[in-house]
Amino acid sequence: MNNRVVEDALLQQSAVAPTKKTVQMPIGVPGYTLTEESREVPVTEPPVWPINKDLKYVGQSVERYDGQAKVSGRARYTSDVQLPGMLYAKFVNAPMPHAKVVSIDTSAAEKYPGVRGVHVIQHVLGNAVLRNPALDAVKYPVVRYAGQPVAAVAATTPAAAEEAAALVKVRYEAIPFVVDEIKARATDAPKVFPGAADEEGSAGGGGGPSDVRQTGNIHGPSIHRHGEIAQGFKDADVVVEGRYVTQVQTHSALETHGVVADWKPELLTVWASTQGTASVREELAGFFKIPLTQVRVITEFMGGGFGAKFGAGNPGVVAAALSNKTGAPVRLMLDREEEHLSVGNRPSSDQTLRIGAKQDGTITAIHLVAYGTAGCGTGAGCSGPASNLYKTAALHTEESDVFINAGPASAMRAPGHPQGAFALEQTIDELAVKLNMEPIDLRDKTDEHPVRRVERQVVRDSDLWKSRNPVAGASQGPVKRGVGMAQSVWYRFVSMSSSAEVRIYKDGSLEVLSAVQDIGSGVKTVMAQILAEQFGVPPAQIAVKVGDTHYPEGPNSGGSMTTLSLTPAVRDAAWQASQMFLSDIAPALGTTSDDLVLVDGEVRSRSGKFAPISFRRAAAKMATSQIAVQAKRIPDYDPKKYLTYGGIDVAEVEVDTELGRIHVRRVLSVHDCGRPMNPAQVISQINGGIIQGISYTLLENRLLDPIYGLMVNPDLEQYKIIGAREIPDIDVRLVEAYIGQSSTDASGIGEAAGVVSIGAAIGNAVYNAIGVRIRQTPMTPAVVLAALRAPAPGKELA
Amino acid sequence: MNRFAIADCTSVDAALSQLKDGAVVKAGGVDLLDRMKDGIEQPEKLVNIRNISGLRGIHETDQGLTIGPLTTLAEISDHPLIRSHYQILSDACGHAATPHIRNMATVGGNLLQRVQCWYYRSSDFQCIRKGKDLCFAFEGLNQYHAIMEYATCPSVAPSSAAVALLGLNASVELSAAKRGKRTVGIRELYVVPDANPTKFTVIEPDDLLTAIVIPKPAAGTRSAYQKYGEKESFDWAIADAGVVLEMDGGICRRAVITMGAASPVVRRATQAEAALAGKPITEETARAAGQVAVQGAQPLSMNSYKLDLFPVAVYRTILYAAGQRDRDPGAAG
Amino acid sequence: MSDPSESRPAEGKNDSATAADSGRTGISRRGFLKGAGLTAAGTALLDGVQAFSSEAPGASTHGVTELGPGPVPVRLHVNGAEHTVQIEPRTTLAEALRMHLGMTGTKVVCDRGVCSGCTFWLDKMPVNSCMTLAIDAVGHNVTTIEGISSEGEIHPLQAAFVKHDAMQCGFCTPGMVMSCAALLERNPHPSEHDVRHAISGNLCRCGTYPKIFAATLDVAGVTRNA
Repeated sequence: MNNRVVEDALLQQSAVAPTKKTVQMPIGVPGYTLTEESREVPVTEPPVWPINKDLKYVGQSVERYDGQAKVSGRARYTSDVQLPGMLYAKFVNAPMPHAKVVSIDTSAAEKYPGVRGVHVIQHVLGNAVLRNPALDAVKYPVVRYAGQPVAAVAATTPAAAEEAAALVKVRYEAIPFVVDEIKARATDAPKVFPGAADEEGSAGGGGGPSDVRQTGNIHGPSIHRHGEIAQGFKDADVVVEGRYVTQVQTHSALETHGVVADWKPELLTVWASTQGTASVREELAGFFKIPLTQVRVITEFMGGGFGAKFGAGNPGVVAAALSNKTGAPVRLMLDREEEHLSVGNRPSSDQTLRIGAKQDGTITAIHLVAYGTAGCGTGAGCSGPASNLYKTAALHTEESDVFINAGPASAMRAPGHPQGAFALEQTIDELAVKLNMEPIDLRDKTDEHPVRRVERQVVRDSDLWKSRNPVAGASQGPVKRGVGMAQSVWYRFVSMSSSAEVRIYKDGSLEVLSAVQDIGSGVKTVMAQILAEQFGVPPAQIAVKVGDTHYPEGPNSGGSMTTLSLTPAVRDAAWQASQMFLSDIAPALGTTSDDLVLVDGEVRSRSGKFAPISFRRAAAKMATSQIAVQAKRIPDYDPKKYLTYGGIDVAEVEVDTELGRIHVRRVLSVHDCGRPMNPAQVISQINGGIIQGISYTLLENRLLDPIYGLMVNPDLEQYKIIGAREIPDIDVRLVEAYIGQSSTDASGIGEAAGVVSIGAAIGNAVYNAIGVRIRQTPMTPAVVLAALRAPAPGKELA
Repeated sequence: MNRFAIADCTSVDAALSQLKDGAVVKAGGVDLLDRMKDGIEQPEKLVNIRNISGLRGIHETDQGLTIGPLTTLAEISDHPLIRSHYQILSDACGHAATPHIRNMATVGGNLLQRVQCWYYRSSDFQCIRKGKDLCFAFEGLNQYHAIMEYATCPSVAPSSAAVALLGLNASVELSAAKRGKRTVGIRELYVVPDANPTKFTVIEPDDLLTAIVIPKPAAGTRSAYQKYGEKESFDWAIADAGVVLEMDGGICRRAVITMGAASPVVRRATQAEAALAGKPITEETARAAGQVAVQGAQPLSMNSYKLDLFPVAVYRTILYAAGQRDRDPGAAG
Repeated sequence: MSDPSESRPAEGKNDSATAADSGRTGISRRGFLKGAGLTAAGTALLDGVQAFSSEAPGASTHGVTELGPGPVPVRLHVNGAEHTVQIEPRTTLAEALRMHLGMTGTKVVCDRGVCSGCTFWLDKMPVNSCMTLAIDAVGHNVTTIEGISSEGEIHPLQAAFVKHDAMQCGFCTPGMVMSCAALLERNPHPSEHDVRHAISGNLCRCGTYPKIFAATLDVAGVTRNA
């Protein structure tokens, strides 16, 4: 295809539907199932890339683009931003879990030396919202959890802000509360909301359905079914059932939520620790009723989000309001306690799961009844794995949110899936025991996903799996070894709000820009790799500019969307820019553009019309100072195909039966994410998912005092997170799985990466080690010892 | 953290002269700053003893060891003499807190740190140890709390060094401008909450801890300390054991077994000690001693699992002390 | 927060609601006024004296130097250069570095000494700057993440972190680098066990540990797959 076609197509794009072309694309897993399929794609699309081994930069473990900045301390995070005249803000937080705010007296705080402004919160964000707001007819937002922000103070030093915040006098009228999610289900429990309340779904996956009934604190059930569930169980030869309980986990990103807001008359500039610069801009513009053009959001670096950092939230809105009021930039970063209490968590679950199957392993019925609490928000649903992993004749899921007086949940890495898989994959394991089948064979029977079939083969062939003793509890001595596996599933979500601009400058330098933020998953590096591949220059020579809403729109980084949404736009822009570039310089080189190729940092003539010249020298022949092309994500080539991906985790554990301690020794993690754009970075994310998942399964727990409703461990000491000594040897096997969906054919990995399945893999490994199934997280010594003391089936739950 | 004045002192006499009007001693500052940042203490004046060089160092004497209270946990755990002859102390100091804290925290500060009970450590709860009436742990969350001797407050003894020093029959030297010097045994250093819930130690506001004195162990002594947590990387003990064995050939002439995480102040498990006296150290005798280590314990609502853990911690540490077992790879710190 | 015991309704009972004033107990108004008075006087007094430093102990009498509670000039030796900062005695070294010297590479995460994100070297020893008062760093060599490179060349460990992709969000990375580099200073050939123990107080939420082990061992001449 020559560049005239491209230009014509570009010109016609808005007026006429672009013409299609048919291309052959690699499909399947190299070494196992690789084949080709044809796709109808717009003519503007670049040529199909071959599989990774035939590419030079894409698919290679190219050095992280901002690695040098991060290891040297130069990387500037929101909490590092210091502007001239900047003020420091501190929240005043509610000290009790449920209360009406009667009055707020800010006079003493306002007079405190150094104080420049006090803001009283009129609209609190994050909590579920009453369908009938009149039920809350009070002057200030009702306090629904301890730690809910009520007001904020901005002062010239952090200390002055903190001291002045303590001087804000708030009169509360306490309301009966409930923080125990079992008690909250009782009809006579104190009600968190006086009527039905909903939290809308958000970009990052938080929130839940709003079209369900509410009875007391029970929001739901949300019911999904296909087939006849009663018939399904009638048709079953065996039925397994268990109750699984998982705890609330907090995201505990190392950089807390926060912003620096600088509100000038013409522009509100906000540095935000966010997973979505666009989401912050939208919420601020909407909240303050100003045009999007008057809000600029910048995220140069951000210190971890894991799903909790979307939108401006209370810190963003309050900092902007204080900046507006004081006329000065305002930094509002949460402290560690606030981070635990008020900006999200992974909801708990209390699942009763029942599965029926034929003797040959055919599943006839899956029935899940799940409760969970997202505090004073919603989003505790966890039926994803039960609904999407295995073929069943009948499926019935009922999920309810249980309101309690605790901070609202938010999306957290594969929302609902670690919980759901913990129950499902242990139940499947139990079913395999009952059917006297190998766990892998049972899944081969019921899981039709072509890539997981390959992944199971990788597991089957692994030394770790071969070392598994199929007899549970067989090892001698007090420390028992076990191996278990579990599968995960995640979905292909595409954000169409994904654009990039590629610029070629006359000095030969290359640049790519997008508002997308790099939250540590490495999208900057991948963007550089794509330009490198397209222009034939090393990635280190590409300038990548992201994390600024002044650049073309970028996707929010949630739901494993970033790489798969953005990279096709980057590639399309790069390819189109390269074609323009070649037509621009061709006359000066005495040829036509279709005679030119870009390779190894040079421009070469296919016909040998001239000796190769460097890209830099060729760029000097450009007619103008720069060529810039912006491209927008086009829909997936065949959006009906291959909607899910996932993987398998295998865990080897040692259970010290005298101490009740579980140590995960080794993990084999086999995962697919379409075309892995940068394997080293993908492996980093999978390591991270595994490690976070182990921490969740064995240690982490948000503990609320049952009598006072306050979190007793809002720190990083008694809120226990896995450390260096507990890290297993992790063997990640990336499965390249081509799916023919875009010009890069990338998928995402953040959610599927280990975190979904590792908990169940540990549960199954523990069962293999000790012959007792632990159906509760975190699996602390107290829980394990209790299970060992009372190993009767179904009675392990403490 | 509240605003404070600080008197930086370079001699013991200078420091003693400053200990008045509510001034609080700061050494490494780890636990003090922690409490101040948590808002549970707001001293207006600190007396900084960190730069008093005479309070630092490990000295061998005819009677044993004298350790300056400003000696850091890392210095103690790495000291060749302590490693070879006082392993229990090396173990305890070498596995307390985190490596970086061990570089900063002093042994004196470790002995005098306050309890870690989350109710005590939260400014949201005004508990009996802060001069109010209530203990929130009895009816609240008490999974990490005491199983013995807790009538008033079930927080547990936080200092690993104290568990080791009790095992070594150590004492501390206290100095005050008015009273001069006095010596107090490690166990006597601590005030049980039943006697006085707000006192913690016998140290008066004008006292300075000026030395830790450890008698020379009898010939043939072997010792060790281990603590267990929910984590291996930095965790507070849910069970721990200090073991000192005076061996006479293959026979244990005398044993001292100490624990921290079972009770509000460090304690000796005398029944376990008696179970070992005069016996060879074997897995069987070690386990038998472990079984009686927490005899009479009464768990709270959420910590009955500790009844299983302590016997294990004790028997494994006995075997470790006796050289029959390596340090437990699953031990914390 | 106020003492909840004074105002709590019993859970599950519809007791009549009670009212309570809030206000953190940390700072009393009286304490503040007293402190503010001292601040003004203290500043005026100390403006004329030398910075608090090991060589010039300022207002020292009989082995006692009284400082604060207001801001005092303090001389710090950071990354080979002398800096004098005007700070209150309660200022931690992390705050002094980040807010007064603009060295924001040192990160504050837990602010309680349990995550080691704020690791710096006091002389050659890795410690937590969030739990170190800035005045306690006087007379010592302070080395931060900004100071371990020499003459524009990054430290071999920093290069190894990049090579092994031993980072994701990067927020723990400066603390990890400082901790692992300190280990290599005192033990050029550590085992993996040594590395794990040396960073057992360093928290990473993204889960980069396996590659941190590999990077550190690589500098020590050991190959590890991660």
